[in-house]
Parts: sequence; C-alpha cells; structure tokens
Amino acid sequence: MAVTKEILALAVEMGDALLRNGAEVYRVEDTVMHILDAYEIENYDVYVLSNGIFASANEDRDDACSMVRHVPLGRTHLGRIAALNELSREICAHDCSLQDAWVHLDDCRTIPYNHNLIQCLFCGIGSAGFGYLYGGNVSDTLCAFLIGMLLQILLLFLARRKASKFITNIFGSAGVTLLALFFYSLWKTLQYDKIIIGSIMPLVPGIALTTSIRDFFNGDYLSGAIHMIDAVLTAFCIAVGVGAVITIYRSTLDIGGVFL
Amino acid sequence: MIQQLLICMAATVSFAILFTAPRKELIFCGLTGAVGWFVYLSCLNGGAGKPVANLAASFALTVLSRIIASLRKNPVTVYLIAGIFPLVPGAGIYYMSYYFIMNKMDLCSASGMETIKVAGAIVLGIIFGFSLPQTWFNALSRPIRR
Repeated sequence: MAVTKEILALAVEMGDALLRNGAEVYRVEDTVMHILDAYEIENYDVYVLSNGIFASANEDRDDACSMVRHVPLGRTHLGRIAALNELSREICAHDCSLQDAWVHLDDCRTIPYNHNLIQCLFCGIGSAGFGYLYGGNVSDTLCAFLIGMLLQILLLFLARRKASKFITNIFGSAGVTLLALFFYSLWKTLQYDKIIIGSIMPLVPGIALTTSIRDFFNGDYLSGAIHMIDAVLTAFCIAVGVGAVITIYRSTLDIGGVFL
Repeated sequence: MIQQLLICMAATVSFAILFTAPRKELIFCGLTGAVGWFVYLSCLNGGAGKPVANLAASFALTVLSRIIASLRKNPVTVYLIAGIFPLVPGAGIYYMSYYFIMNKMDLCSASGMETIKVAGAIVLGIIFGFSLPQTWFNALSRPIRR
C-alpha cells in the first residue's frame, strides 16, 4: 500500500515547510502528529530538531516507511506559517482530501516575500522608529531611516550571493556603522550611537532568542541550544562589525583625521 | 508617551512586514509591540530597573500575543516575534562593543552584564507568559469557532 507513504510524505513535507519558515519545534512536531492522526495512522514516531525531521509510520506492518529531512535554518516567513497552520486545522477537521492537501501545501509554500522595495522601505521605517525610541532626535531618525533602507539593500544583495550568516551580519553591522560615522563626519551634531543602534535592529537576533526560549520551554533542549548558539553568534558578529569600523575610525582620527 | 507608543507601533509593524506577516495581522503585531513598550516605559517611570521592566514587558507581551493568537486562530509566533523586537537589547550589544573598543573595560563589563541581565529577564518573562495553562486561552477561541 502506497497510502501510508503518501500520508507520511504529506505530513513531513508540511513539517519541513513550517520549520524552514521559522516555526518552533513544538509546533512542527504537533502538526506532523496531528496530520498523521487525521489520516488515521496509528503507529508513528516523529522527532523534530531545529534543522531536521525524522518520522516513521506503521513500523510493525508491511507498509512500514520512514522519512528523514534536513532543513537548514532559513529566513522567517510568518505568512507561510500562519497559512500552514490554517491548512493543518482544515486537515484535522477532515475538510481536506489528500490530493487537495498537496495542492494547498504547494500554495502555502509559494506565498511570496514582500516586494524588495517594500522591504527596503519598511526596514528603513523600522530602523528609524527604533533609533527614535532609543533616544535619537529627528535628524538622527532621518539618518537611521536612510541607513536602514541601504542596509536592507545590502542584505538582499548578500542573500542573493548566498553569503553565510556570519558574513552577512558582520558586513551588515560594519556597513551601518560606516554610514553612520560618515553622516556624523558631515554633521557633527548627529548622535551616531543612536543612529547605529536603530539601524542594527534588523540584524539583532530577536527571532532566534524567542524561538530558542520557546524550544527550551517545551523541553526541546537540543533545538533550543541550536537557536541560542545562533542568537549569541549573531550578536557577536554584530559586535565585531560595529567594533571593527569604530576602531578603524578612531585610529584614522589619531593619525591625522583622514575622515574629516 | 503617546508619541513613543505610536512610533513603537510603526516600528513593530515594519518589522512584521519584513518577516512577511499576514496583512490582516499586522495591526495586531503593532499592538503587541506598543503594549510591551508601554509596560516597559511605565515600569521605568515607576522606578523599576531595566531587567525588571523587561521582565514585566515581555510577560505582558507574551500573554497578549497568546490572547490575540487564540482570538484570531493563528500561531503565537506571528505576534510574539514582532512584538519582542523593541525589547531585544540591541543597544546593549552596541555599547558593549563600543566600550570594549574604547578600552573602557569597567563600562564594557557593566553594559555586557546589563545586556545579559536584560536577555535573561526577557527569557523569564516569556517563560512565565507561556506557563499559564493553555485552557484559559482556549476558552477565548471557542465562541468564535461556533
């Protein structure tokens, strides 16, 4: 019987899609198990890590099958998570045949990201907002807005080149610092620390921290540790990027103010 | 204060857009962010330290996200992730590396410790928020399902 295999494939693919778009481990495990339950598979085992899924069904029967997926840590897409959650609700309510589920799943997986220009604009607004909240005045906020937009352009560019996370964060924060110091050297009244704080906010590992805590809370210590290490390393990379540029800036000032 | 909250809302909504939250939920993402910031500011005004303020804010934020999640029947993650951003110690990371470069080790360790304390407080706040039993929140989503 190929049916077991098909059901398991659907469940695991859904888990894969959830995990890839940044859902926490507990949700993924729960979803996979609920789907298997909904299609009346009784004997199953699911084990989910923050970067992998292992599942088996009907191990003691003829149609036994098992699946393994490797899921690299990816970009968060909350819209897809919400859509997949809705789909799994439908499946659990038995509103959805297996064929329909596959079609819906493909729809959910291909919900696009927002347009690049929109991303840039809102990255700028977000940076500006945080720059203001952390004590910047109006001119700092405007600078943060500009730098935030440029940062998102840089991030999109690096993402297209498939740069590693470390490189992305170091270059991102270094670029932000460089631009902030550049504006500062043009207008000495700017508070460059507020500008930098505002504009590094898009890089700060808020998601990794939150997901890690939730994994720990649900007892998924290994996944929690993976996300926590991710958060700490990201923070470290940001510190390195900011620090490196400020060091260079200071030393050029000492030599004779090339910047000025 | 109101100005701060509005700007916080705008900033949170923009981050929610960056993470491609569903369009209908954006306003709620902004709401969680604003409420978190409101609690944070009120605690600071009331004389509480930064870690305590962060703890209270992330607790309020988590509970609110769970309430909205039950009402709107969406994953908690959607509201929580955007809302937590105003609290995440980005400034702490910056000041730590800045003082480190400036060779002001006392200030560096002070801001480093504060960053760790704040992160720990956020962790505790979220954990407290999630330890409330799910049944309380399920009661919220039931009338709508009918």
